[in-house]
Amino acid sequence: MLEDKVLMWRFNRGDPAALCRIYEKYRAPLLKVAAALLNDRSGVEDVLHDVFVDFAQTTGQFRLKGSLKGFLSICVANRARDRNRTMQRRCSTTLDEAMSHPAGTVGPEHRAMSHELIAKLDAAMTELPDEQREIIVLHLQSRLPFREIAELKEMSINTAMSRYRYGLEKIRSALDGELEP
Amino acid sequence: MSEIRDTERLLQAYLEHLPTRQGAEGDAKVLADALTAMQRTKQQAAQPGRILWRTIMTSKASKLTAAAIVVGAVLFFAFFGGFTQSAWALEDAIEAMKNFPAVYMVGAFPGGTAEIWIRANKTKTQSTDVVVRGSHGAITWTRDGSTYHYEPSQNTVYFEHALTIGMAQWLGPELLEMLSTAENAKIVRGKDPATGRDRIMLLCSLIDVHGAQSWVIEFDVASKLPVAMKQWQNLDRSGPPSFDAFKIVYYEDLPDDVFDVHVPGDAKHVEKPLQIPDEAVGIMSNPQDGISVEGMTQQEAAEKTVRALYLAVIDQDMNTLKNISPLCRNWGDEFLRKIIFKPDKDDRIVEILEIGQISKTGRSALGPIATVPVVVKLKNGKKAEQQMIVQFRQFGDTASCVVHGPYGLPREIDY
Repeated sequence: MLEDKVLMWRFNRGDPAALCRIYEKYRAPLLKVAAALLNDRSGVEDVLHDVFVDFAQTTGQFRLKGSLKGFLSICVANRARDRNRTMQRRCSTTLDEAMSHPAGTVGPEHRAMSHELIAKLDAAMTELPDEQREIIVLHLQSRLPFREIAELKEMSINTAMSRYRYGLEKIRSALDGELEP
Repeated sequence: MSEIRDTERLLQAYLEHLPTRQGAEGDAKVLADALTAMQRTKQQAAQPGRILWRTIMTSKASKLTAAAIVVGAVLFFAFFGGFTQSAWALEDAIEAMKNFPAVYMVGAFPGGTAEIWIRANKTKTQSTDVVVRGSHGAITWTRDGSTYHYEPSQNTVYFEHALTIGMAQWLGPELLEMLSTAENAKIVRGKDPATGRDRIMLLCSLIDVHGAQSWVIEFDVASKLPVAMKQWQNLDRSGPPSFDAFKIVYYEDLPDDVFDVHVPGDAKHVEKPLQIPDEAVGIMSNPQDGISVEGMTQQEAAEKTVRALYLAVIDQDMNTLKNISPLCRNWGDEFLRKIIFKPDKDDRIVEILEIGQISKTGRSALGPIATVPVVVKLKNGKKAEQQMIVQFRQFGDTASCVVHGPYGLPREIDY
């Protein structure tokens, strides 16, 4: 946290090394947020690119509320939602292709899951309303507390928690029978 | 179907290991475009002026303030990039300068020109009176131990109760001795292309309590006096100088009214907030440095830290000095001995007489900062007061303090 404060302070003074360090520190988790929220995962790099270019333009006037990771995660989420809407890629015929995992890039936990389960999770996540999907990803993957999500997205904490709960219920329904007690 | 918790766990595993493909090529493109965007924003932001103190002090108008620091910063609690032993070349020049208790400079800074008048105290140990007048009406001056800056566009006087401009060591043999102790400065000999006169150029740089600075000082060989000087607010003399003094005149005396300053009676007065330069924060952010102040009030912590620093000076304990004041690591040991420990000098510190209450507070990116006045006794029996800036830090559960450096010039006192 202290490192982030110093990084932001340096960033606001136009230090390129600070921007590089922020990118190096948060690129991996942000890529995952983008991958989880985009219907078309080929756009993951584009989302990260656009978020960092926009972020770089705030040098000198950036004021951080909450954590830097939280702020950047929300930026990725917003950008992913815009892209989803623009691309209008909720068509199931192209979804399989878009969701397909490149060879050799699936993690061990994913390998442990059946291909069918992963496909169901992919589909269930894609079918979720954006606002529920975002809260689930920000909470479960970025590990942001509901309070911070609520502050960053300017909603009440109850709204954030409700959206999370509704989203989980829908995923659970979609996976009915897949989960062992 | 199981409980919701199982869904969470499954989703977590799914999300944690989602495949991503960003490689080195993608990283390079993101960084290149982001850095370009950042640079473009910086250039655009450099043009307008916002009415904030920080902007004011870095505005074209107030860069004349930086010019007034000139050589003084060198000896303030100085941090030299260094001089070579060839500083001997300046010996005659320093001897020539020491006879003059007043200096007048004219020069250019980005956006205007400025005149600077500086006068030494009676014993010619440091400057007391400084006036810097900008061509567009801004004025910076000292009076009764305080420093003022008048910004005409805002009809406002910004002030601080410390002498933050001037020279901590007046021109003379002491200056030479200090310069000759430092390392890696450059002396360049040549001829002035305009006049054909022989000249010596002295190039040096440092990070001191005012931040990064570098200079080129030009000495006229015949008169043995500095005749021109350029100053940058970076270490590598890159870009246009923050002050280019193209005329320097020395005086044996000056009338008092040279230092009289008049500002409009309806000008607002605003105290300048306590700040430390950007470069210092990184240097002071090592958790291994400093001393623990766990469970103490800010006053107790500041006293403990400053006392430890001065005891290190009295005991000539170099390691402790660097640990408590990490900026000292920028200097060589020999240089530190000369300017701080002064082992063979009558004005070396021998006793702490009093540590006062916190007099001013502020904040850096590392946390709160505060100034603490310290009264010390010198070997020659004189007493001096110096305000020190203490940085409070919190790393995890650990509270600690370091000393940034002095706040303003020291002053002799009757105690």
